[in-house]
Amino acid sequence: MEFLLPEGAGHDSARHALEEHLSLRPGRIRRGTTVFYDTFDGRVHGAGLILRHENGALELLDSATGETVASVPAETPKRMFAADLPDPIRKRLAKAIEMRALTPVAKVRSHTQELAVLNEDEKTVARLAVSTHDGLHGRVTARALRGYDDELERVGALLRDTLGWAPATVPLVDEAIAAGGGDPAGTSSKLDLQLDPEMPATEAARIVFARLLEVIDANLPDTIRDVDTEFLHDLRVAVRRTRSLQRQFKSVYPARLQHFRDEFKRLQRETGELRDLDVYLLDFPALKASLPERMRDDLEPLRAVLERHRGRALRATRRALQDPRTGDALADWDAFTRDAPTSEVTVGELASERIAKVYRRMVKMGRAIDDDSPAQDLHELRKVGKELRYLLEFFASLYPAEVVKPFIKTLKGLQDQLGRFQDREVQANKLRELAPEVADPPALMAMGVLVDRFIAEEAAARAEFADRFGAFASKAQRAVVKEHFG
Amino acid sequence: MILATYNIKGGVGKTSAAVNLATLAAREAPTLIWDLDPQGAATYLFRVRPKVKGGGRKLVRGKTDAERLLKGTDQEGLDLLPADFSYRHMDLALSDAKKPTSRLRSVLAPLTGEYAYTFLDCPPSISLVSESVFEAADALLVPIIPATLSSRTLEQLHAVLAGETPVLGFFSMADRRKKLHRELMDSLRAEHDLLETVIPTSAEVERMGAHRAPLHDFAPRSRAARAYADLWEEVRARVT
Repeated sequence: MEFLLPEGAGHDSARHALEEHLSLRPGRIRRGTTVFYDTFDGRVHGAGLILRHENGALELLDSATGETVASVPAETPKRMFAADLPDPIRKRLAKAIEMRALTPVAKVRSHTQELAVLNEDEKTVARLAVSTHDGLHGRVTARALRGYDDELERVGALLRDTLGWAPATVPLVDEAIAAGGGDPAGTSSKLDLQLDPEMPATEAARIVFARLLEVIDANLPDTIRDVDTEFLHDLRVAVRRTRSLQRQFKSVYPARLQHFRDEFKRLQRETGELRDLDVYLLDFPALKASLPERMRDDLEPLRAVLERHRGRALRATRRALQDPRTGDALADWDAFTRDAPTSEVTVGELASERIAKVYRRMVKMGRAIDDDSPAQDLHELRKVGKELRYLLEFFASLYPAEVVKPFIKTLKGLQDQLGRFQDREVQANKLRELAPEVADPPALMAMGVLVDRFIAEEAAARAEFADRFGAFASKAQRAVVKEHFG
Repeated sequence: MILATYNIKGGVGKTSAAVNLATLAAREAPTLIWDLDPQGAATYLFRVRPKVKGGGRKLVRGKTDAERLLKGTDQEGLDLLPADFSYRHMDLALSDAKKPTSRLRSVLAPLTGEYAYTFLDCPPSISLVSESVFEAADALLVPIIPATLSSRTLEQLHAVLAGETPVLGFFSMADRRKKLHRELMDSLRAEHDLLETVIPTSAEVERMGAHRAPLHDFAPRSRAARAYADLWEEVRARVT
């Protein structure tokens, strides 16, 4: 259990207050620096854990109980991926952080004194640690010794009731992040918008566009620094969403919209190659593991080629993002959406019309697809599906959740299948494209095995199409769309 | 890793060895010490009340959850399973049980995942308790005083164990200034494989009772404290 020291209290005053009621054996005051780590989007926080470096060890704690889950001697790195973590910590964190990098989110300098609480035999029955931190509340933590839980209760009651010290409700790391102006839960790239159907369409779109710009701005610096792959990914998703809404709502904007559509298209294009290579490299361990055991190491030369290409693509992306033209375009776009003349049409009307229209277009396109249709038809359908998905996400707050959620779910079922189909095709093509650069025959043979599998999986995904599309275009779903979107 | 300090004879420095070695072990990794001696000397040194709820009988018969009896000591990372006066009847409790000699191992089984090292401080004697200890322990730490009968003690022990549990013997309460001690140690070493480290007779070790603390708490730089540190290094190298 943890308590906050009264405002302004230091080690001496805290100890004197405690000594009035407890027999204590004080230890030395130790100085230390604690560095807390999390991903940009706060995944460690989200998992109810705290990762910190203190006293030469990397430690994982349960944030609710303050208990140490794992502690391993380690350096203080600037950045860590799951693979860099020591075993016991990786086991608990790998799933939560996935491909994201852990970077320092707060640094706290502390002075800590251990105080052993003694009984009449002068035996330690509880341990207190009083710590003060620059610019933050001082804290006292009380730890039980095994078999002396009653004593801890007694000490806890004393601190709370007799001394009137407030139980700490927020972990030190959260207090430190908040004191630095950050959000302990991390920076989300989710939309989470609340709109009113009676708003003019331009006003609602302005809210969506502003949020998307926020996501772009938040992810831009660490995309350039190449901290992890998800900064670029989230940035690109925000760009794609922006383009989608530009297209869907183009009727309410003046002609100059086209200039911004071109700029966002350019951003999307100039960052695409890097994202493709990121996906390939992220998949690489799984691709390798999918090969027969004795071929796995043969694939390594491909990784080297991918990494070389990635280096080039990163430089190109950096150039594009650091180009003043990009900064200017984003600033102008912000002003453009703010200054756009208010539309007559409400967002409720326009969103419903667009959702119904895009849905019906998909149904029509899907119905025209049969076993002999070219792959391009499925890709086109997927593109339109993304538009529908984004519309439903932007405007979810305008409709009952029991309509939107199942709608998105059915759509997602179809999109995942179409995505798998397209990804396998893209992956197979990419391997063919890279083959001339891989000089090593065993590597080429391993790549051949992969291409073969991609083609088989592409066919399997395609075979699922009729079922998934059937659910999406069912009579019941069409009736729902008619009822709620017109 | 379960290590038992054991000797058929009493008063040879068993408890001192168990307490000081467990204290050193706890600095590396979570450690447990079980005071099996009804006299409760180790329990006393850690300032814990020699009381086990339900008594030794229920504990060895698996009716009490050992985890709930554990007591944290003043040493960070070192927990104690205390002695209880009822342990003097542990032999009887074991003889009534099925497979008596595997009982102690069963009591410890749920705890071994939590502790890297477990020390058993055993009462002197050859009995069902000691047999049960032999079965539970990965190695026996046997303090030997430089005396004429010690060779016989070691032979008896080897006969009982028949080579199943490693025996790590070491000289305890030795006085190198005494010619007799030096001669006895030389001749015992000639007959038996014994550890290098010698724990000297020392006023500091005797003072553990007055301080109610391990040696490293009040005389960390004493000759005896350094000898225990060497002994721990040697033991650890042998068993891990």
